[in-house]
Amino acid sequence: MTLQKSKVMSVKEAVSQFVSDGDELVIGNYTVGSCADLVYEVVRQGRKGLTLYSQSGIFDIEVLVGAGCAEKLVTTYVLRPAGRRGGSAVERALQDGSMQMEDYTNFQYNARLTAGMHGFSFMQVLEGAMATDLFRKRSFLGDDKYRVIECPYTGKNILTVPAANPDVCIVHVQRCDKFGNAQYWGALGSVAAAALASKRIIVSCEEIVDHDIIQSSPHLTIIPAYRVNAVCEVPWGAHPTEVLGYYNVDQFMYGLFVTMDATADGLKTWMDEWVYGCEDRIAYIDHYVKKFGSRNLENIRCKPYYSAPANYGSAFTTRWDNEGKERAMGLTLTEFEQVLKERGLLYE
Amino acid sequence: MSKPYTLQELLIIAVAREIHDYENVILGVGLPTTAGAMAKTLYAPNATLMMESGIIDFEPLLPLNHIADAHSCRGFSYATDLFSAFTMTYRGFVDVCFLGVGQVDKYGNLNTTCIGDYYKPTTRLPGSGGACDFISYAKRTVLTMLGGNFAEKLDYFTSPGYLEGGSSRDDSGLFPQGSGPSMLLSTKGVFRFDPVTKEMYLAQIHPRVKVEDVKKDVPWDLKISPDLSETSHPTDEEIDFIRRFSPAASSGRHLAIELMIANVMKQNK
Repeated sequence: MTLQKSKVMSVKEAVSQFVSDGDELVIGNYTVGSCADLVYEVVRQGRKGLTLYSQSGIFDIEVLVGAGCAEKLVTTYVLRPAGRRGGSAVERALQDGSMQMEDYTNFQYNARLTAGMHGFSFMQVLEGAMATDLFRKRSFLGDDKYRVIECPYTGKNILTVPAANPDVCIVHVQRCDKFGNAQYWGALGSVAAAALASKRIIVSCEEIVDHDIIQSSPHLTIIPAYRVNAVCEVPWGAHPTEVLGYYNVDQFMYGLFVTMDATADGLKTWMDEWVYGCEDRIAYIDHYVKKFGSRNLENIRCKPYYSAPANYGSAFTTRWDNEGKERAMGLTLTEFEQVLKERGLLYE
Repeated sequence: MSKPYTLQELLIIAVAREIHDYENVILGVGLPTTAGAMAKTLYAPNATLMMESGIIDFEPLLPLNHIADAHSCRGFSYATDLFSAFTMTYRGFVDVCFLGVGQVDKYGNLNTTCIGDYYKPTTRLPGSGGACDFISYAKRTVLTMLGGNFAEKLDYFTSPGYLEGGSSRDDSGLFPQGSGPSMLLSTKGVFRFDPVTKEMYLAQIHPRVKVEDVKKDVPWDLKISPDLSETSHPTDEEIDFIRRFSPAASSGRHLAIELMIANVMKQNK
């Protein structure tokens, strides 16, 4: 294989090097296994003026918006922490005018990234949305939120969305090698599209594994090394959300967040303790264990249920058989070279 | 005489009975996932349960936390992406989907985006998520309304029901013919849509609810089916399934949380 350099670094280094003020930043994960530590580090480093992209804005978006990192938000779904009665950071930011938001459907949002991932300038989406306020009410994208074109083949009106190519994707996966081959399984969502559409990619993972592991299971690789800028090994990196095969959602911690998130003061208190108060994930987990004990974490660790291995084997791995003969020609290397010489094909 | 049941159990069973064998079913969070699990176990063993996150043909062992919850099943048959989950819906491979309702009008159009002005909302609701595209292209859609309300005019039109009623949905050319919401379940009854006018009417009422109780929640003059029936008493088998699969679904969220907190307090003593 070609010589590649290790991209392993700390979350602090990765965010400092690859996330800038004013960036378009996409959270690669969808609902599950969110890149919590990368999100917290963006907040700790005080990034401002971001345009956030999120397939489904759960607690990660609440934290980034609550911290004032975002000027704009492109999403399809936001968290309502305490049902109808409770507020949310997104709701507060819309009400005080500190953030603008563009609403799409799940498919349309994914389609923008899929277009970006493949280098197209737009993507066809499902025309039913033309009947709705999604189509009629537009925020900062204005006319470019959607455009309607005539299909050159059928003559029908087609609804389209523009490609998105965010500056940077932050994403958490199960495992990755040091070069950046990132493996993820479970609910695939739009994780690959979010990463591959982006100009830079920061991967955090539960564990860094040998390159051999990746080679024997390439169907699990969703981001190839050549696209990745940074690899950060962060066990419990998605806590309190869940990572398939590693841990379940921490309902207790998620519940605590949701309760605090309902008010601006509550969220600030929660972030002072869990985001600003912990310099990295190790400090965060230490703080958690000191405060609540380790039993919660032990209880949510996944018991293994392994995928059946896929056989990537082949009949042989060299052209030469056990007797040293070329498999088709039946000649040894010396005999083969003799033939080359006899036919006048060798030059001194 | 069968066992006594809770209101939540009655609602789950009413939804589960909408799932037929051999159907492809998109499940949303909450009540529909428990209903889906029950249908798969009791009435529709060959149904294919699907979630928009790309988890296809799964058998839930636990109540799902959300639509990307692969922790609540032991593997599944097909792992695809969200993009493909919607394009297969667009192509007509989804028989029924289930959506929660914030606000609904008389033609089954939905708002799950905001209350008040869109740009400076009084209440920001979750948004479309998959709702707009699913109700557009699934062959039929079952609406569940537990906390939402009926409205003469939606604050925001997120997802298309029967538009202005009559044949307007089919005439728009945007949707498959005959698609749209087939029923709406509330805590008081089951509503269906008139085949011609597409106006919602009360088709079925839950035990101990009066028609007047239903009418007072609805801002227009709600039509009542001449064949109004009462939601049937769940069977022991149905009740037992729900209590074992998801006790919190039987009790409702508030009581479940109260019991969980009491348990934590007891353990910490």
